[in-house]
Amino acid sequence: MSSYDLYLISPYLAVAGTGLLVVLLDLVFRRKGLLAGVALAGLALGLLLTAVQARDSLGLGGGSGLPNLAIGPGLLAASLAVDRFALFFNVLVLAAAGIVILASVDYLERMRGNHGEFLALLLFSATGMMLLSAAAELITIYIALELTTLPLAALAALLMDRNSSEAGLKYLIVGAISSALMLYGMALLFGFAGTTSVEGIAAALLAPAQQPVPFGSYAVLAAVALLLAGFGFKIAAVPFQMWVPDVYQGAPAPVAAFLSVASKAAGFAVLLRVFYTGFGDFDWHWGALAAGLAAASMTVGNLVAMSQTNIRRLLGYSTIAHAGYILIGVAAVAGTSASQASPGSLTTAGPSSVLFYLAAYVAANLTAFVAVIAISSRIASDRISDYAGLVQRSPFLAAALALALAALIGIPPTSLFIAKLYVFSAAVHSGLAWLALVGVINSVVSAYYYIKVIRVMFLEPPAAQERIHISPTVWAALALVVAATLWMGIAPAAMLGVAEGAVRALSGVAR
Amino acid sequence: MVSEPLVWAILLLPVLSFLIISLVIRPFLNRIPALSGWLLIGCLLAALALSLMTLWAAAGHHVPEFRQHAWLSVGSATIAFGLLVDPLTAVMLVVVTAVSLLVQVYSQGYMKGDPSYSRYYAYMSLFTAAMLGLLLASNIVQLYMFWELVGLASYLLIGFWHHRPAAAAAAKKAFIMTRIGDVGFLIAILYLFFQSDKFAAAGLNAFHIPDIWQAAQPLAAGGAILGGAALTWVVLGIFAGAAGKSAQFPLHAWLPDAMEGPTPVSALIHAATMVAAGVFLVARFYPLFLASSAALTVVALIGAFTAFLAATMGLVMNDIKRVLAYSTVSQLGYMMAALGMGAYSAALFHLFTHAFFKALLFLAAGSVNHAVDTFNMTYMGGLRRHMPWTYVLTIIGGLSLVGIIPLAGFWSKDEILSGVWGSSELVAPWVGRLTFLLLAVSVLLTAFYTLRLVILTFHGQFRGGGEKEREEAGVVAPAPVSAHAADSHHSAAQPAGHGGGHHLAESPMVMLLPMLVLGVGTVAAGYVANPQWVHSLLGIPGHWITEFFHLGLEEALSGREAHLAVPEFSLGMAAASTLIALAGLALAAALYRGRGAETRKDPLERGGPVYVLLNRRYLVDVLYENVLTGRVFYRAVAGALDWLDRNLVDGLVNLTGLVFRNAGRPLGLLQTGQVQFYAVALTLGSLLVLLGYLVLR
Amino acid sequence: MLENYFRQYGLAAIFLLVAFLVPVGMLAGSWVFSRLGVRPAKPSPVKDAPYECGMEPIGGPWNRFNFRYYAYALLFVIFGVEVVFLYPWAVRFIQMELFALIEMAIFILVLAAAWAYAWRKGDLEWR
Repeated sequence: MSSYDLYLISPYLAVAGTGLLVVLLDLVFRRKGLLAGVALAGLALGLLLTAVQARDSLGLGGGSGLPNLAIGPGLLAASLAVDRFALFFNVLVLAAAGIVILASVDYLERMRGNHGEFLALLLFSATGMMLLSAAAELITIYIALELTTLPLAALAALLMDRNSSEAGLKYLIVGAISSALMLYGMALLFGFAGTTSVEGIAAALLAPAQQPVPFGSYAVLAAVALLLAGFGFKIAAVPFQMWVPDVYQGAPAPVAAFLSVASKAAGFAVLLRVFYTGFGDFDWHWGALAAGLAAASMTVGNLVAMSQTNIRRLLGYSTIAHAGYILIGVAAVAGTSASQASPGSLTTAGPSSVLFYLAAYVAANLTAFVAVIAISSRIASDRISDYAGLVQRSPFLAAALALALAALIGIPPTSLFIAKLYVFSAAVHSGLAWLALVGVINSVVSAYYYIKVIRVMFLEPPAAQERIHISPTVWAALALVVAATLWMGIAPAAMLGVAEGAVRALSGVAR
Repeated sequence: MVSEPLVWAILLLPVLSFLIISLVIRPFLNRIPALSGWLLIGCLLAALALSLMTLWAAAGHHVPEFRQHAWLSVGSATIAFGLLVDPLTAVMLVVVTAVSLLVQVYSQGYMKGDPSYSRYYAYMSLFTAAMLGLLLASNIVQLYMFWELVGLASYLLIGFWHHRPAAAAAAKKAFIMTRIGDVGFLIAILYLFFQSDKFAAAGLNAFHIPDIWQAAQPLAAGGAILGGAALTWVVLGIFAGAAGKSAQFPLHAWLPDAMEGPTPVSALIHAATMVAAGVFLVARFYPLFLASSAALTVVALIGAFTAFLAATMGLVMNDIKRVLAYSTVSQLGYMMAALGMGAYSAALFHLFTHAFFKALLFLAAGSVNHAVDTFNMTYMGGLRRHMPWTYVLTIIGGLSLVGIIPLAGFWSKDEILSGVWGSSELVAPWVGRLTFLLLAVSVLLTAFYTLRLVILTFHGQFRGGGEKEREEAGVVAPAPVSAHAADSHHSAAQPAGHGGGHHLAESPMVMLLPMLVLGVGTVAAGYVANPQWVHSLLGIPGHWITEFFHLGLEEALSGREAHLAVPEFSLGMAAASTLIALAGLALAAALYRGRGAETRKDPLERGGPVYVLLNRRYLVDVLYENVLTGRVFYRAVAGALDWLDRNLVDGLVNLTGLVFRNAGRPLGLLQTGQVQFYAVALTLGSLLVLLGYLVLR
Repeated sequence: MLENYFRQYGLAAIFLLVAFLVPVGMLAGSWVFSRLGVRPAKPSPVKDAPYECGMEPIGGPWNRFNFRYYAYALLFVIFGVEVVFLYPWAVRFIQMELFALIEMAIFILVLAAAWAYAWRKGDLEWR
């Protein structure tokens, strides 16, 4: 362990260390407001350290820059890849965590003084997500995944009422089963390749004398399916989505918000890294697997969302549908058409559209959730019918929520319009026009239930007259995510460039 | 000398003014509204200086390369924002900033005391910014965005006094009619988008305007990317957009109604700049037009016909602003006809001079209204004694419009006529002859209605003004009911002493000064910008502006010969057109001179049915509003659609909704809430993925 | 190669078969013997009781444990894991010098934080 290794893991150390600090401060101090400040400062420190790493990776501080900082002096090259891909997700996760903490200031009143636990667990989980996006080796992936999941299970149960406990238990059990399946897949891969390093697995797959079956061996094929179970749980794709609505409804709203964006982003990060780095040089048939999951997720998510009466269940099903849209980008591996693509030179269009979609989705879905958090911490209800006439009680909240829902439909000039455009066009260029068509039809269908909420907020008479007051920190959170949603919708070029640069760090992608 | 940030600043200064007025001054400093006017004037002064620098640079070929800022890429089509400064843009920048500046100064007097003073300047800033953005756009999508923004600003300003039904209706009419043309423009852009792969194969960008010029040229390997019938349709789509904005037949009907807006707005938007945007658009894509003879024929004939048609309607209007509006439509027709006949530089030269004298005439009309509180000429008369300055300036502007030497209009109109007469091989000979005939007759008509306007307004006896008009309409003063009487501040913020009446006196200095400047421009612009007969005048080479435009076109054609001769000045043509104009003036003088004070009857009424037809504007508005909109559209189309919508579409939608909702329900039933079931589903799911992959592979 | 691979699973299949046959055979034998009258059927409460290493069973088999036991179990894990990690560290301590000392100090501090948390929140008191 050298100081260079410490530098590599400094963002993770900063966030996890802040989590520990929050636990200890919570034991000593009575003032709970301080804790959120400390947590935010820790996230800012993590962001700063990530920025330093990004500077070094791009070579802005002198030198020519390193695509992967971990390849250098130190012990971590085997297990971590600190590249622009990982740094992209660091920023995404840290920003999401920061917004959730800002937005939950009012909501924390309902947590019976468990402020410290909430913040610390959130920070630990964020650490896990950041590690997950950088993990380049199966054991590290597994540890990071558990570090992500276990705090989230505790967070989901943090309200300590009936629904919340149920949500926590379900998340824990389903998560445990999915990680068991994934672990089995990892064991198969290890047995096949003799190494847990993703790059090593890629090398073993490329060795000659494979059998004429997909991925060269049934063992690898089974491993891929089992890995998908683990990753599918994190990204909430059908058929690994069952836990979503119950957990979203029962868990504290900020936890559901964090779960819906950061957890999903980290899941996609590890999915892309394993599949592109591990299998990208060898075979891209897993694109077909992703395509199947994409179609199923979009369709099931949207269809079931239609009959929901609870806004958080609705957003839960919506997040399943969006996992489907993002999987379209994962499925769009090949350059022109699946039969012509050559392994090792996969197009950047698919994965970069995934990254852009995730950034856009984080902004839009957080906008929706921040509004929901703000409303539910005042009216203590998540029923859509209680949102009637919201525009008269708080015009700005109603407008922000309407903007978020419009973004989730994919209406310009919001971020997700551009994101969907990119995902669908990547699919069409990969010969997956049918999948793009399914995506478009699903987008249209989804407008039904999103617009239903907007109609209730704007057209129906309000149930109560008193105005909804919101604290300034929540306003700040809302303003940030609304601005991000509009920014990526109006001037997407910058974020697209960043996403494009980030996916070039994955091997298997054409450089 | 001129760097990219400076050119961007031309556009950004009015944007800044718009933002400050609407976000700072209106909410917080509305007690001192004069701030907003002076802010915009300051911004425009700076923008004018920068525009002059840009023109200087363009004339000396010092325009730097501008960067393209990528905004969005879809497939092989990349939309990039950037600047395009060629001679056309450079001259137009100066015209727009200069006229806008003068109009804003004039508005300081004209709009004084209006309760919505800041809003007025906010809209004006928005308009100027959009117009400048339109001129500078290097990308067709960027151009389209500003094009629509200009339309929006025009809509807002026509309906500025939105509490008046006539103004609201006129704004709506203008917006809808121009939108009809814009659909054609949009279709042309969409066609380019679908061709983006072909463009990309040739290393071009389907949205970048210089690349589009390139695409219409035959390439070394085979034909052009854009060619044949497809090119003609693209070009006609663009022309449809241009015809809507420039009020060409059959989309001309909105412009006279647009006179419901404040008079400075009419001067700036509906005379000098925005309506010229259609001409600008055709000029911008002129390399494409040159490649299609059919499109040029359409442009020439529509232009010439519009010039003639509008002039005939101008003969009989009693509203001073409407006479000028029809005159504007007619002059825009001249420009279009010239473009269609290949007289590219002559058309743009006329655009340049027209901006000055038409803005001057509108400002003069506003000045008259300021004094008599009406726009109806039958209640004016004898004003030359009270308003000498306005009188002289109107004469100058009017004679320039008629085309009397040595005023600006003479030089440019003469070039158009010469260009059309010596028509090239671009279109069939009969098109050239018909176009020339229509334009020549229009010269006569123009002379007639111009002098009629001057006599009715300034000569004879005063006939009572707005007060009398309201009295005869049976309305008790001072409530201004007449649509035009409410123009200017007399109705909006009535000073107690005025009592709703007129005060026959010259307008204040702040209004006269811009008119004087425009008057000087009207006298000098033609000869100074485009000296004829001489080798050079004050360092300006002969035929400077026309050669300048021509040079820009040749650059756009990437060095290929344009096959367009810059028409030389021809003495015979000048004499002929002057004679025709003088004949028109004489006719008007004979009919209108020396009538009694109370004679309100127009001698033209003796024309009987012809007069009625002209007065009713050929029933085109009746056709559009009552027959097309009322009967055909509302009853037939909308009725049928309504029935379809109720019975077929709603049924279908309900059915789809029913299917999807009921499909969702059984799926929802799977959500049992039992965590055991979830675990089973998860495990089976991964097996299913595996099996599905093996089976479907 | 594939044949060898599956042959190893064949051994596992034999085990599976035996594991299946033995209990089924015992149950079936018992049933056959009772039919033949070799095994008399005389049920009694003592016979029906679950077998707990010869001790008398207390309460039913489906009774619940107090949740507090889990808290104790978790605390136990904290120190159990600590010992598991401390042992190899102690064996190799000489080679790893100061760095290992610092690292272990951090490790123990983290665990101590968890312990302090449990203490402060009152989880060590039986209420």
